[in-house]
Amino acid sequence: MSLQVDQLSWGHPVPGGSWRQLFQNFDFQSPSGQFTVVIGSNGSGKSTFLNLLAGTLRCSSGSIRLNDQPLQKFSDHRRARRIGRVMQNPLEGTCPGLTIAENLRLAEGRRRSAISWRGLTGVHPNRADRRRYRELLQQLGLPLADRIDTLVGQLSGGQRQTISLVMATLGQPQMLLLDEHTAALDPRAEATVMALTDRLVRQLGTTTLMVTHSLDQALRFGDRLVMLHEGRLLGDWSVQQRQHLTPDDLRKMYGSANVTQNS
Amino acid sequence: MLSLWLGAYDQGLAYASLALGTYLTLRVLNFADLTVDGSFALGGGTAAVLITQGVPVPLALLAALVLGGLAGTVTALIHTRLGVNDLFAGILTTTGLYTITLRVMGRSNIPITDITPVVNWPSLGQGDDGRWGVALTCVMLGMVGLLTLILATDFGLALRAIGNNPIMARANAVNQAMGLTLGIAAANALVALAGALVAMYQGFADVTMGIGSLILGLGMVIIGESVLRPRSVPVALLAVVLGAILFRLMIAIALQLGLEPVDLKLTTAVLLLAAMSLGHIKLPGLNASPQGGASEPAALAGSEGEGDGEPSRGERP
Repeated sequence: MSLQVDQLSWGHPVPGGSWRQLFQNFDFQSPSGQFTVVIGSNGSGKSTFLNLLAGTLRCSSGSIRLNDQPLQKFSDHRRARRIGRVMQNPLEGTCPGLTIAENLRLAEGRRRSAISWRGLTGVHPNRADRRRYRELLQQLGLPLADRIDTLVGQLSGGQRQTISLVMATLGQPQMLLLDEHTAALDPRAEATVMALTDRLVRQLGTTTLMVTHSLDQALRFGDRLVMLHEGRLLGDWSVQQRQHLTPDDLRKMYGSANVTQNS
Repeated sequence: MLSLWLGAYDQGLAYASLALGTYLTLRVLNFADLTVDGSFALGGGTAAVLITQGVPVPLALLAALVLGGLAGTVTALIHTRLGVNDLFAGILTTTGLYTITLRVMGRSNIPITDITPVVNWPSLGQGDDGRWGVALTCVMLGMVGLLTLILATDFGLALRAIGNNPIMARANAVNQAMGLTLGIAAANALVALAGALVAMYQGFADVTMGIGSLILGLGMVIIGESVLRPRSVPVALLAVVLGAILFRLMIAIALQLGLEPVDLKLTTAVLLLAAMSLGHIKLPGLNASPQGGASEPAALAGSEGEGDGEPSRGERP
């Protein structure tokens, strides 16, 4: 589903009574199925952009259209039906008190309205659901396939983030938003989650935006790399153009010291 | 002596739907709902007025259920639409409900003298106590069954998600406002039913009968949970009912041992405090978890064991 952002504006008050206009008539397009990696220094507007796309923040003017439908006019839960999201904090994306199968069911049922008469029509996750989830996790090569009845609260941060990612891609989302989803993970878990991310995005062909501070990830993943600065696009590279970039080039472009030096 | 046990059992079952309602708000929805204090009295008052006017008992109970549900809806709407904090929303409704209950009742206390039963329940040779026991056992088992089924559907899963992680529930398109409203309404309907049953059992309804209901319900939930240590929803619901019975039994025994009825509320509070603190204080040999510590949620210690098949602790059966 193509994403079309036109003339987006958003600002916020800052201490002292003044106003900071972060986005001013910001335009952004992404064709259907494109995997865009977004980098930029802290405060550049990366997470704000994702929040505006997800509807957690409301833009003051402009339009966000997903497959030619205006996202801002949708109610929160209607919008959530179309957007899969993984947050930075592994604690945010899953329900610790529910089992893996129950979490997956919740995500899979995103397209239906659970709080309705229809939500009362059957017991879920039932045996068939559980078999499907086990197969899905097996297909993705995840050992968690054997533990779908484990409470998610008993998993490690990396495992929880893996489940969050699988959940975000269930229920046929039209857009996938990944907000520094590997930032809280150790290098090994990060590699696992990134490999899974790449595989899921390729497999599903969902339009994806991934925010990251890791220059290594920025230069390795996605079809397109963009750099945000003060609510503007400072750089925009295709895969071919990206090949000529080095981490040092990017560091210079940041122009500030708050770059994660882990690449 | 048997009548003491049977009486406590009957009272416990009458209170069980209060405990179920409390479980629904506090444990499932994670919403501290003080409306419970108001809707308990509202249910009792409504049933008393209707029964004394000759309305059949099932209809009177249904009316109590509906009014309790409405009370819960009001609290939920105050919370979800106006953004008022959950405790304040509940207190607001409860304060208003005091007048409404008084208006419904017409006076502060209504005796219920003769109840014409619609179903002739078997007495098991124990007279009225036996009849109450059989009737309430059937009603409560049905209630537990119904709640188990509801909580096992997508609807129930969404409610549990709202209580567990509201951010995640919203991100997964769960209509949180609607879910909270329906859940709190259902919980207060159950509480009002408890009020009606208790009023019928004790033979009168009083406008102040709801004071301390939430804490009472919470105590029943905690006692039940500490006895059965539930790891699944059906067992948790049964534990809650069992907790209600055990709680009334403890009160009955205390009264039998010479406790003055005046001291009942203080004793209740102390009993609850004891039950709550027992969950925290480790007594060797007493608090050992039957699952070998499986009830302790594993800490999110980094991301070690990333899918490498570390021993799975605390699998649900």
